[in-house]
Amino acid sequence: MSSSHQIPPVAEIEALRGHTFKGGQYRIEPWENFLLTGCTGAELMGNALAHPIALFHMPIMGAGTSIAEMFALGQAESDLSIKIESYDWEFLQSLRESVTYDIAASITSAERHTNTQGQTYDRIQFCFEVSQGQQLVARSTITWHYTRNTL
Amino acid sequence: MNPQPGDQIPEWVMPSVSAEKMRTMAALLRDPNPLHWDRDAVAALPMGLGHRTINQGPLGLSYMVNMLHAWAGPECIKRIRMTFPQVVLDGDTVIARGTVTANAEIAGQPVLECTIWLEHEERGHLLEGTAWIDASGFV
Repeated sequence: MSSSHQIPPVAEIEALRGHTFKGGQYRIEPWENFLLTGCTGAELMGNALAHPIALFHMPIMGAGTSIAEMFALGQAESDLSIKIESYDWEFLQSLRESVTYDIAASITSAERHTNTQGQTYDRIQFCFEVSQGQQLVARSTITWHYTRNTL
Repeated sequence: MNPQPGDQIPEWVMPSVSAEKMRTMAALLRDPNPLHWDRDAVAALPMGLGHRTINQGPLGLSYMVNMLHAWAGPECIKRIRMTFPQVVLDGDTVIARGTVTANAEIAGQPVLECTIWLEHEERGHLLEGTAWIDASGFV
């Protein structure tokens, strides 16, 4: 049985486009890469290489935000109401342990849609750029659907 | 010799997706979503998933990464884009698979474009996507 939630005004969702996060820095600690790599079922890659999966959480935290804040910005009805459209990760260089990276992030798209079942959702796209000095190292584009009244 | 379009990528198997590893991931990611650590929250969803936690998207994606690394080396991935048509649940046996589809370029460098997916024996493709792999490592 679903409970009814107030759908946020479309203008509030569309106004998220261009939102810039504070930004900052992040360093992948060796212990963190050890645990992270173990979760994937792989062996450590060696040579201080970080498992590419770090490109999900590292820029989120380094940008000074969190998964919880990203849910809240889109006025998620609950943690359960988010669906992943896609994760798009680009690597210009490999990520490494114990390197301090600079992170910049913004919301690049925020739109209201209706799916083929007639259900409303808001599609929000976040872009995180990871740099070292002036050099872009990697980019993570996260696209989530904030479903409305489907639970 | 470089792989060619039509070649299959050797599969990578996750014999049983672990609820414990989802909990560790939730802590590392600071992910508050109870679907990854509370079986009762998943059972309460109107999706008929039962008492099984849902794997984090990045963890499912990591199985694809592991397949690509085993095939082409630890620094082979130039880009990977995944979609998530179905959830991965704790206890699932899943197989990462892929096929080379084209020779391409990223920033002037040769890459292999590959269609990749995460497969479950009964439920079919749980994840689907494309990876672009450094082609120079195969020479």
